[in-house]
Amino acid sequence: MIKYIIRRIIWMPILLLMVSLIVFGLGTYGPGDPVEVQLGNNYDEKTAQRIRDKMGLNDPFVFQWIRYVKNAVKGDFGESYVFKNRPVTSLLLPKLLVSAQLNLIAFLIAISIGTPLGFYAAVHYGTSKDPGVVISTLFFYAMPVFFTAPLMILIFALKLDLVPTSGWGGLFDKRIILPAITVGIPGSAVFVRLVRASMLEVLDSDYVKLARAKGVSEIMVLWKHAFRNAMLPVITIIGFTLAGLFGGSLIVEIIFGIPGVGRISLESVYSRDYPIIMAVVLIGSTALVIANLIIDFIYTLVDPRIEMQ
Amino acid sequence: MKSNIIKITKYLLFSIFIFGIFSCGSSESSVEEQSIERNSKVAPNLQSSTNNSSGKLDNIFRMNYSDPPTFDPHLVTDTTSAGIIVELFSGLVTLDENLDIVPDLAESWVVSDDKSEYTFTLRKGLKFSNGDDLKASDFKWSIERAAHPDTGSYNAEVYLGDIVGITKIIESDGDVKDAEGIVVIDDHTLKLIIDKPKTYFLAKLTYPTAFVLNKKYVENTGENWIDKPVGTGPFVLIDYQIGQVLKIGRNDNYWGDPAKIEGVIFNLAGGTSMAMYENDEIDITGVGLADLERVKDPNDSLNKDLVDVPPQFTLSYIGFNVKEPPFDDINFRKALSHSVDKALIAEKIYSGLTKPAYGILPPGFPGYSENIKGLEYDLDLAKKYLARSKYADPTTRPRIIVTIPGTGGSPGLDTEVISDMWKTELGVEVEIQQVEWATYLQDMNRKRLQVWAGSGWQADYPDPQDFIDILFETESDINHGNYSNPEVDELILKAEIELDNNIRYALYNEAEQIIINEAPIFPLWFDTDGYALIKPWVKGYNFAPITVPKYKNISIE
Repeated sequence: MIKYIIRRIIWMPILLLMVSLIVFGLGTYGPGDPVEVQLGNNYDEKTAQRIRDKMGLNDPFVFQWIRYVKNAVKGDFGESYVFKNRPVTSLLLPKLLVSAQLNLIAFLIAISIGTPLGFYAAVHYGTSKDPGVVISTLFFYAMPVFFTAPLMILIFALKLDLVPTSGWGGLFDKRIILPAITVGIPGSAVFVRLVRASMLEVLDSDYVKLARAKGVSEIMVLWKHAFRNAMLPVITIIGFTLAGLFGGSLIVEIIFGIPGVGRISLESVYSRDYPIIMAVVLIGSTALVIANLIIDFIYTLVDPRIEMQ
Repeated sequence: MKSNIIKITKYLLFSIFIFGIFSCGSSESSVEEQSIERNSKVAPNLQSSTNNSSGKLDNIFRMNYSDPPTFDPHLVTDTTSAGIIVELFSGLVTLDENLDIVPDLAESWVVSDDKSEYTFTLRKGLKFSNGDDLKASDFKWSIERAAHPDTGSYNAEVYLGDIVGITKIIESDGDVKDAEGIVVIDDHTLKLIIDKPKTYFLAKLTYPTAFVLNKKYVENTGENWIDKPVGTGPFVLIDYQIGQVLKIGRNDNYWGDPAKIEGVIFNLAGGTSMAMYENDEIDITGVGLADLERVKDPNDSLNKDLVDVPPQFTLSYIGFNVKEPPFDDINFRKALSHSVDKALIAEKIYSGLTKPAYGILPPGFPGYSENIKGLEYDLDLAKKYLARSKYADPTTRPRIIVTIPGTGGSPGLDTEVISDMWKTELGVEVEIQQVEWATYLQDMNRKRLQVWAGSGWQADYPDPQDFIDILFETESDINHGNYSNPEVDELILKAEIELDNNIRYALYNEAEQIIINEAPIFPLWFDTDGYALIKPWVKGYNFAPITVPKYKNISIE
């Protein structure tokens, strides 16, 4: 098992190198150019070339990429092209933290609503309560945030005047409530479906039938035998959700005025701000790779049948 | 199974309860906690963002804004940055509300008889915001810095290139540092020599690229000086947190009347502007078409806050590449131009918020003439021109692709309606192709687009040269449609060295009329922005059609 983990860890930088190469290549060979976006209407070729030279954009692709990787290894992700003279890390870190906090709360809301509801639906399989729960959560899941978010503002900020319409003050500020609910409640539908499906499968398994046949009390069957086993696929989703903590959600950020990572990611694509794009992608892929590793590890702890090879 | 429901409810209640505790316990937001104190004399109201009972913040003006990419006047290319920079920095001259060039740091200036030497006398006792004295040598150093390749300015050539020696610095490898056209006569006198007489030269000096920096401060602080900019504008930067908030406060060392308000808080995090305004979180907001009907109703509570916003100096147009068939045929271009009823579109689609454009210079802009005759809507004439054109036969007519920027998937309503009018009225079919902004720019700058819509031209400085010369002179980089007319070029050249503004404007108007007659572009609209809401306690807010300092005259009452 240790061997397996070591192998995975060795693969990690190689994977990230490949990711960086692909993104870097797409940026360089794709259409559009950061200097040109900056110059906008005032483009002239001479000035553009001079600035490209200064930024090193005229160097051969491989040189540029190697230089980037070298610096990145040292923790230097370069300076933004758009936000002049600002290191990418100082631009992105605060935003990543904001997104992570919001996503964490939203995730807690999603899981704390979704898991019990999914459990409840599965237990009531065959009655009208099951589709009732599923449909109502799917209803919220299907509502687009550009509809629910302004609705929340209208009700809770403007009519009831409970919270400001927008802004950010960190985990312990009331301005996090509306966006977290807006993201979290639709997210709960994922857990409802997952827990429900997984529970139903487990409830139909031989060992649950055996437990029931033995005369184990229903509560014991549900909690001890069924629920714990049913949580296995949920762990996978939790892992991936946690990997996505550092991702932004553009629409929610814009409507609620949250300085998260979503908006800057999108804008950096439009403006061809390669250093930002690279950093966002690399941080995202690193988080995913690590989360994957942790999930695998937890699997073996939860389910002894799974071995790492 | 009832117990489950109860548990779920408990769960929910618990999480809501937790939020309740958190939100009650923290009256101070972490935004303020993180903020770095940058100025010891910060007004107390800039420190908090809590409203008093009346909804306003005493002596503080609040509005939504976007992250300015830079505070460095020499690097600015965008209006977002420029809007802040003109509050923090200043130059020799500036523009007043009527867009006349007025003294700023220079008290007066004398122009030599051959009109190529400008001698500026600086005001006495000028100080930078950190208390340092400002000398003429700071100007020389600043302009040379703006041009130096290490600075990486995008537009030094456009705004400063007329000064003798600047182009040499720009094109050097960094070894040339001195421009002989900038002469420091004494601490209060500065002479600028330009390569040939150009009346619009002074107008260019109003742009931030020509602003003055504190040489001593920049050199001593190094590259990070811009984190704590020191300038000569009416305000100083108090705090900036990317994506969150930007605060500027009164500059006590400003040469003129100090700002009436203590400062301005710009919210950078976005949010729903109308809702924030209604909730007293900001003091001003634009009104979009969606809300306009509501606030225009006299019974609406917001109606009394509604104000007119004078148009910006912007021209949006559809550009034709006159080297690409079928647009190489003037008759074809004129047919298209005459076949669109712009007045109808303005009324039906834009609720009359938009003014149809028939000329090039926007109304109110220096050199604007009412006598310019545009290609008006005239279907018979359009059909006549089409019949006369060599592309009259649709079967042999080259394919027409209108390129528009954006990612929304839908072109602007106007583009859609116009292409429809071309089709129904003339039988000219066009395809609309949307490309993402960076790609659009790339193709436009290479002059590769056949027809393009969805962008326009906004004046950088108030002189007709900024439209006529830059967009239509044969050699201009921004002449994206390859338009070329020796007669126009000659008029532009004459206007460039003409010193009498009336004659000069007449020359530009003559060129404008020729251009309009040849239809290398199809002018659509002058600016569309029309309404804003301003809180009743805000006095003295001035909408300027161009980027000029505007917060120092505001007061909160």
